[in-house]
Amino acid sequence: MSKMMTVDVLSSIKGAKESETVSKLFDVIKNANTSNNNSFNINHKNAVSLDDLREDVVVDSPQIEKDIIKENFPKQKNGFLVVSKVIEE
Amino acid sequence: MESQIHKIHQQLVNKEISCTALVQEKLELLKQNTHNTVNSLLDTKALELAQKVDAKIANGEEIGLLEGIPFGIKDVYMVQGTYTTASSDLLKKYKSSYTATAIQKLLDAGAIPLVKENCDSFGHGSSSENTIFGAVKNAVNPNLVGGGSSGGSAVNVAKDYTVFSIGGDTGGSIRQPAGYNNVYGLKPTYGRISRYGIMAYASSTDCVGPIAKSIEDIRIVLNVMSGKDVKDQTTYASETISEEAVLNADEIKTVGYFKNFIENDAIDAQVKADFLASIEKIKAKGIEVKELDFFESDTLVSTYYTLAMAETASNLSRLDGTNYGNRIEGDNLKDTYSITRSDNFSEETKRRIVGGNQVLSQGFSDEIYLKGLNLRDQISENFEKDFKEVAIILSPVTPQTPPKIGDSLKDPLAMYLSDAYTVGFSLGQLPTLTIPKGTETGLQITAAKNNDELVLKFANFLKDTI
Repeated sequence: MSKMMTVDVLSSIKGAKESETVSKLFDVIKNANTSNNNSFNINHKNAVSLDDLREDVVVDSPQIEKDIIKENFPKQKNGFLVVSKVIEE
Repeated sequence: MESQIHKIHQQLVNKEISCTALVQEKLELLKQNTHNTVNSLLDTKALELAQKVDAKIANGEEIGLLEGIPFGIKDVYMVQGTYTTASSDLLKKYKSSYTATAIQKLLDAGAIPLVKENCDSFGHGSSSENTIFGAVKNAVNPNLVGGGSSGGSAVNVAKDYTVFSIGGDTGGSIRQPAGYNNVYGLKPTYGRISRYGIMAYASSTDCVGPIAKSIEDIRIVLNVMSGKDVKDQTTYASETISEEAVLNADEIKTVGYFKNFIENDAIDAQVKADFLASIEKIKAKGIEVKELDFFESDTLVSTYYTLAMAETASNLSRLDGTNYGNRIEGDNLKDTYSITRSDNFSEETKRRIVGGNQVLSQGFSDEIYLKGLNLRDQISENFEKDFKEVAIILSPVTPQTPPKIGDSLKDPLAMYLSDAYTVGFSLGQLPTLTIPKGTETGLQITAAKNNDELVLKFANFLKDTI
């Protein structure tokens, strides 16, 4: 995987190009002064303590939930949910 | 205290009005959709619930404070069985299979959902024009934007179509439309209310919050929705805020404001003058006011958008039309992904996804994304330092008054920069309330993390001061 992936491939959006407006925002970041303490994540203390993890159990969904999930599926044929053909590259 | 919820509750209990008539009246108003605030009406369910409330009252049973109170929901929240479109083509026929925790708590308290409300698609915007349902019109002047991204919610509250609405705030999306439409809007401390069931935009700043016409109503709804939730492990347990606690602001002795927000060329002259006049009135009440140093607006906006775009690129990668959404078939799976996404996402959403993937890709992530995270840490440290000196930070909500419909879409950079005063508090994950006082687009009151009560206290104090 040494080839460079372009933003349209990374984003799965046909013909996508980098935006000039957004580049202006990024330039501000490039030119900003950062602190040297390398203290990434001091702000993001959202990790959960091991004692506080939720139980690792399988919860069965109610029937109405399952029905709506099926209803949302874009394509169905003869009772099967249909996805696009997957190709090998 | 002034409260629409208390007032309606009393009218219901005293049998001055019936819940069915109340809900019908609001639904009639919403049906006209004069301000493009409505994505879908929940009329059948709402009327069914209203009849149950009326039956309870007729039987002499007691009803809870929120029971029978009609409210609106930004169309990014899962409510089982309802269309949840995020105002996008991709999800225009998507139905929620489950209900968001915050909304479920309101339903459990008996509040009646009337409407899924128009907003910027996936929260991507500051004007509620980036939507397939038509630009939301401002409640005060329909030629202006309703603000965003929770524009439909703020306008519905301002026009009394809903008693309160639930918005979502990632970088200002509750506070700015509240300011543009002269109502109250709270972004609570990050993690106070569960995000389970809100469509993720930028997960590290996404917040659920109420929009209402009084501080008391904000307090009531905030209390009901708050609390730890195993389904969102960033949530924390918080204390209920009492009505009495909000009435006394004696403990607030020092207030600060960011000098560079006010002393620059980007701020409207009237907004600046009104803000400074408000500061003088606060000083006259014996409160010390300190000028504080803060990051430049362009640094705040760039840091926020860099991180938010990276997070939204990741969050929205699941939207490929495979399991749900408006799939458009291509020659193979990858082709199907890219056609579906190209044709169904708006220009603004695509701009943010592409920007996000750009900063997360090799060669850019050190230079931009990691540097953005470092800046965010510095911003948070700055807040921690400030809140050792002051109890409250006061700021305008926006540098300018609402733009005309159509103007923001032409100039995305101007739209990003219009978020200059709101995004910093999002990055800091701080509780911030917009009040419809002080300047044409209101004032923001911010306190230290987990101090939402202090924000409400100061809001109540300002109600009588300015």
